[in-house]
Amino acid sequence: MAQKKKAAKSSKSARKAKSPAKKSARGGMAVAAGARKPTEERIAALMQVPLAVCEKDEDLQTVLNILRNQDEPIELRLAALQVIQAASFSVVTFEPCRGAYIATLREISDDPDPELRQRVLGTLAREKDGFVQKKLLEGLQNPEKALVSPEKALQLLSYDVHADAYPVAREILSKSPNADARREAIRLLAADANTAPVFEKILRDKGETTEIRQMSAAALNSVRPDKLQEYARAIVLDDSEDDELQATSLTAITQFGDQETVANDEALLAHVGELKNKATAKVKQGARRFLTKYGR
Amino acid sequence: MQEAATAGTALSEPEFAELIDALAADPHRRGQLTELLREDHPLYDQRGTAATVRMRGWILLALARAEVPDAALLFVLEEFDTGTDAYLLAAAACALRSYPSPNAAFAPFVLRAIANIRSFDDPVSFESYGEYALSSTGTSPVRELLATLAWLGPHARGVLPEVEALRTEPGGLAKKLRTDVDRAVEAIRGAGPAPGPGACCVLPAGLGHALSWTLGSRGASEPVEKTVLEDHQGESITFQELFRGHPSIVVFFYTRCDNPLKCSLTVTRLAGVQKLLTARGLDEQIHTAAITYDPAFDLPERLRRYGQNRGVLLNARNRMLRAIEGLDAIRSHFKLGVNFIESLVNRHRIEVYVLDAQGRIAASFERIHWDEQQVVDRAVEVLEAKSEEAAPAVRGKAASSAAGTLASLAVAFFPKCPVCWAAYLSFFGVAGLERIPYSPWLQPVLAAVMLINLASLWLRGRSTGRMSGFYLAGTGALAIIVSKTGPGWENAALWGGALTLAGSLLGALAPSFRRQPCVMSETRS
Repeated sequence: MAQKKKAAKSSKSARKAKSPAKKSARGGMAVAAGARKPTEERIAALMQVPLAVCEKDEDLQTVLNILRNQDEPIELRLAALQVIQAASFSVVTFEPCRGAYIATLREISDDPDPELRQRVLGTLAREKDGFVQKKLLEGLQNPEKALVSPEKALQLLSYDVHADAYPVAREILSKSPNADARREAIRLLAADANTAPVFEKILRDKGETTEIRQMSAAALNSVRPDKLQEYARAIVLDDSEDDELQATSLTAITQFGDQETVANDEALLAHVGELKNKATAKVKQGARRFLTKYGR
Repeated sequence: MQEAATAGTALSEPEFAELIDALAADPHRRGQLTELLREDHPLYDQRGTAATVRMRGWILLALARAEVPDAALLFVLEEFDTGTDAYLLAAAACALRSYPSPNAAFAPFVLRAIANIRSFDDPVSFESYGEYALSSTGTSPVRELLATLAWLGPHARGVLPEVEALRTEPGGLAKKLRTDVDRAVEAIRGAGPAPGPGACCVLPAGLGHALSWTLGSRGASEPVEKTVLEDHQGESITFQELFRGHPSIVVFFYTRCDNPLKCSLTVTRLAGVQKLLTARGLDEQIHTAAITYDPAFDLPERLRRYGQNRGVLLNARNRMLRAIEGLDAIRSHFKLGVNFIESLVNRHRIEVYVLDAQGRIAASFERIHWDEQQVVDRAVEVLEAKSEEAAPAVRGKAASSAAGTLASLAVAFFPKCPVCWAAYLSFFGVAGLERIPYSPWLQPVLAAVMLINLASLWLRGRSTGRMSGFYLAGTGALAIIVSKTGPGWENAALWGGALTLAGSLLGALAPSFRRQPCVMSETRS
């Protein structure tokens, strides 16, 4: 009997202990929803309750309403997004909220505010959401419909290998004057074996920037490592080549080259021996590593 | 020629949606919808993954409006078993409810689908082709699956505790889905005929054949024999070199597959198959292979890492492979359920094959998750069938089994002295044969033959996985030995002889008495 009383007392006190937190969560939501309160105060109130947001449907709706309401200050809307994103990391707890969350993100994916729009698109893209992939592809094919810059769109599409972005990325790589977009296109295409000939062409082309050529080398290593070794050897042997690219090529041969083939390649070994003494610091460093590995 | 058969990539998505609506509306052409669900249909060639999802979902919804025939049921259950896309799962749940009658065997599939998708229960819209939901007030896969459980009603009684658990905290579904769960529980508890015992495993007639089958006449493997494959170590080998001379278990996968219930699980299960083969001492007789759908990307190093990360044993008998010059010959030989956009897979089914010693397909397990033991059993059958083709060997085996049994009986009843010998002969009415000398040396010889019989039963038991014959004969041999230890134990010889006889018969006939698991092992011949 005494034990029962004790247990009842302790559960009562536990309830008591919980209530201030719940009260503060409820209070926080009330402050966050209060349009007349200062924005800073509303943001601070929101930030106090990230994990409780999914416990009550009203709280979830409060946060989602702030997020979708274009009349609310953008700082507050971004804070609302941050709060609900934080809650979504706990996949199991977030289960009941997910439907409303995804639907709201889709709804505001064309929001006029570029920062919010980009963050929303990024969140949906990481979820491999078909809706957002379709929007991003439409934007790449028709710039008037673009929700973000082409480089950002490619970056977001690259989260999903099945996003069907290869054809449009290839087109951007071969035709676009936008260096950033081309760089993102190479990153995205680095898993596409069909683009290997394009990577080879870029790698051979001394008119391309060093960065683009280096990225093409990395992409080629991913899909046709044998081809990269051929080109890397040629670049190392070519004294008119860019130093950065020579250093990259030396690293590629040292790390991924077929040891037996390289060890028997007297011309290459001799030339790297010369580079060790003649070339720039980066190339010298690469040459030293190469020669250490091959016992020279 | 049928529209469905000719429909190809020339069709735009809106045109495709129109075609599906027209087929669904016409009872005479409705059957073509099922044909369009095959992954290898030209319609899906060079379509993106998202487009493939939209198209397949629309077909399932068309079936939901009409009626799901038996032939399409497999595609619906496949979604439940391995699907991770919210739209397809919701459409499949919707479609199942148009099947003519609820069946208790569907309930575990529906429950599995809820488990697979509940953390990714995104809103979906069925309003028009390719539409995405912008509000969570509509439906979702879990909501559709719960409606399907309610449709099953008393037929889902076998899973009632699991459905009830969906509304209890912790681990229950979202509060907003509680009404749907309650409705399902109420319907399941409702009046109606409860399914009989074992009904959980009995799918509609004919469906089992589609899940797992054996070809009656095995297709020739000549067209694919010269196909060159490269293994996880970069070693090239032809199909013929790889698969001739021994049965093989072959699975298909690709490393970029993002459905954890398909490729990753298939390759992990292949590791399980290898362990079973090793445990049964068959790892040298039955080889395994995992062939990628994505040979352009899955270079040897990627294959090796993918296999090793999933516990696959890699050596000359167990390889991970890619077709160097493209997948066409392999795709056509196996009639693979896969399609591509460029070289990237846009959709595939689960597929596992058992090849005979000529590289021909002897059995196949498709779409629904397969059981390692079942695949190994099938491969053992193929191995034994191969052995039986060598008739003299089989006759020898039967003869040795009979000789072993006779030897055991002879040891049991071997007379102890010359007087007993004469008594035996006269007992059998062969008094005229008293000139046959009593030969005590015969006893150890017979004992040796008895032991050989035991060893052969043990080996056979290991290869079939059924040791009962060996245990029976072993007990019999022990009884015979005991009968020889002294007076008073002679009767044990009778029991020993009977047990040895029974054990030898059981060991020799073991494969014929093999238990047939529920549905998945039904065969078509």
